[in-house]
Amino acid sequence: MRLSLTYQGIPIWRHSRILSWTAQIVSGVLVVAAVAFFLSNVSSAIVQRDIPFGFSFLNREYSTPISEHLLPYEESDTFAYAFLVAATNTLMVSVVGVILATALGIVVGAVQLSGNWVISKVATVYVEVFRNVPLIVQLFFWYILLLGLPPVREGIILFNAIYLNNNAGLSFPWPEGQQRPGLWLLCVVLAIALGVVTRVLLERREERTGRPSYPWLGAIGVIIAGSLVAWLVWVAIGDAPYVMSVPAPEGRFGHPAGGYTISIELTALLVGLIIYTAAFIAEIVRGGLQSVSRGQSEASRSLGLGTMQTLRFVTFPQALRVIVPPLISQYLNLTKNSSLALAIGYADLTSVAKTMTQTAPAVTIFLIIMGIYLLYSLAYSLIGNLYNRHIQFTGG
Amino acid sequence: MATAETWQPAPSLPPPRIETGWIGWARANLFGNWLSGLVTVVTVPLIVWAAWRMLGWLFGTADWTLIASRPQQYLIGLYPTELAWRPLTGWLLVSILFGMAAAMWGGAARRIAIGYGAVTVLLGVLPYGLFHEGVVMPWWVRAFILGNLLTLGIGYLLGMNPKTGRPRNFVLGGIAIYVLLLLILIGIPGVPGMEEVAPRRWGGLMLNLILAVSGIFFAFPIGVLLALGRRSNLPVVKVLCVVFIEVFRGVPLITLLFMSQVLVPLALPANFPVDSVTRAAIVITLFSAAYTAENIRGGLQGLHPGQAEAARALGLPGWQVTTLIQLPQAIRNVIPAIVGQFIALFKDTSLVYIVGMLDILEMGRSIVQGNVQFTDNGRENLIFVAAVFWIFTYTMSYVSRRIERNLGVGRR
Repeated sequence: MRLSLTYQGIPIWRHSRILSWTAQIVSGVLVVAAVAFFLSNVSSAIVQRDIPFGFSFLNREYSTPISEHLLPYEESDTFAYAFLVAATNTLMVSVVGVILATALGIVVGAVQLSGNWVISKVATVYVEVFRNVPLIVQLFFWYILLLGLPPVREGIILFNAIYLNNNAGLSFPWPEGQQRPGLWLLCVVLAIALGVVTRVLLERREERTGRPSYPWLGAIGVIIAGSLVAWLVWVAIGDAPYVMSVPAPEGRFGHPAGGYTISIELTALLVGLIIYTAAFIAEIVRGGLQSVSRGQSEASRSLGLGTMQTLRFVTFPQALRVIVPPLISQYLNLTKNSSLALAIGYADLTSVAKTMTQTAPAVTIFLIIMGIYLLYSLAYSLIGNLYNRHIQFTGG
Repeated sequence: MATAETWQPAPSLPPPRIETGWIGWARANLFGNWLSGLVTVVTVPLIVWAAWRMLGWLFGTADWTLIASRPQQYLIGLYPTELAWRPLTGWLLVSILFGMAAAMWGGAARRIAIGYGAVTVLLGVLPYGLFHEGVVMPWWVRAFILGNLLTLGIGYLLGMNPKTGRPRNFVLGGIAIYVLLLLILIGIPGVPGMEEVAPRRWGGLMLNLILAVSGIFFAFPIGVLLALGRRSNLPVVKVLCVVFIEVFRGVPLITLLFMSQVLVPLALPANFPVDSVTRAAIVITLFSAAYTAENIRGGLQGLHPGQAEAARALGLPGWQVTTLIQLPQAIRNVIPAIVGQFIALFKDTSLVYIVGMLDILEMGRSIVQGNVQFTDNGRENLIFVAAVFWIFTYTMSYVSRRIERNLGVGRR
């Protein structure tokens, strides 16, 4: 008698369902076995070689200084709080870097397409140079350049307001709260909310009546007017909510006091990240603008739209669809690249973590910071994807 | 009967002088409108001034003794001097591939081979390492370097020969040379002159190139598998691939390199022979594979579903639909993105200093820091290293643009 291994009349080695299940079970078992093997090695190594492991260190005092921090920090604070401080530093670098790199990148990308041969070539050279050299080389370069600046007394001073030198770092004017600044900010938030409502109402009016109602202009007007009125009320009662604090040399060594001061490490990191990422963003913007076929703008012009209207209603919305997805991945890259702060000594998440490994279990620390970076990546992806969905074709 | 005279229009006049030639070009591109004219007038003097300052620094103020006196360290790091002939032999082998490529594909490949040959000649005859203290470049090293012209020529002849000059031979030869090169560098214990040189003593540009080539070589197939896995209908496979890709793409490479140094030794059995260079190479490869996978997935998504349907209707089995119909088209469409990823991989090799290796960047920095007379030459060092990286990455992006044009991506 012949043994026939069939299922639903098909030999089992050719039945797609059985094959797919076999493949999945085999791959699943292989991965689980590999993970179990690694974990058992890790745990035996921890026991045998007495390697510290676990999360109990998080409640211990970190008792190591963090050179620069946005959140208040004392050496008596715990490891857990030090993680928070470092993560905030990374977030700050990421947000500031993203905003400035986007601005610079859009300018350079637009300049590359401009009709003027000289500046479009300059922009191309900028992009080709900075995109093709490793960021870490550039960071070291900016850092050396800043370290080579004269000390505070002979340093660079712009408009008597911006100071750049090799020991105090970069000082620039910054608003300083004077009289209930929080309350005033609340008023601004309210004004923004009002502005959003205005925009929606004016848009509806425009759709209903067909007459131009300038929803964006109205919204911005409401926001500015609201903030200004609140400001005037503050002035009328007593003092303005904020004053611009301008740094000025002070004391025997002439260190700038007032305003806001960042170290040369942070300056070098930001300059390097912004210039590097902007080169990539410029290429994305250029590609996006070029991807809109010429027929689109020609058709728009023949319908009687002006240059700005063509740009605003026809070219730009279509370019945006091409630009946004790679732009988001550049934002992620900038955030991840900020970990190179380690090389020049700015206290970001990675460099604080590296210091922590001297007094706490390294494996756990790196697991934690990888988790935090993943969280940031997910947050950027989420925001980006929501916006992307908003601007894509919705059909109809 | 009079023949009807067909009316002949008078020949067109040549365009006015002011619209052609360099005057016309300048009118169109420099002074197109008042704003453009203003920009030109303002920026040109600025650019001339900046270029003048920069050239003045490069050829006047800057002191390049640092680089001229330490060519060996920049090229091969701390690889033992008396065994330097081994990396040099490896280099000779690699030149064969350049020659073959030039003969087989011509065009961009030929231009790159010519540039490569020119750089080799320069490296062979420039008077560095002769008049400076430090490592004096012996004559036989120059002979080795100039020998590359010979192997370049041999490669060219191999490529011209219709029997040997086939893409398959090129790929197989490349793999053979890669393996041979690693073998020559590591050495064979017991053979005189082939003493073992542990990978942690490799360094300089050689290390960057080895890490990059290994990364590209392995990241591509792994990336393809991951991309296919992520699109597969099998939930277990799909989840595994998604988790792998997203974790590796979500964290900085530095943290992964750290992990490879602290966790991998724990996760492997005690005394498992895997050194830090191999670990770094594996991490860089997997990191790059995750990005390559996403690029290829993008290409697969961009394919019209009709392609796979037509293939299936013709009776191709599933794996052939993937390998013969979908992948070739998908990969062709995303070549620029993949090359961009490989450029990023090459740039990322400069991060291995994190795990204590002396790649070209860290080698240069340690020369600057370790020698009092070079303390002020940090800038020269970094500019030199940047230039070396730039030459390689720019060549790669040039090749990518040429391939793109030859395949006609975006022009169909």
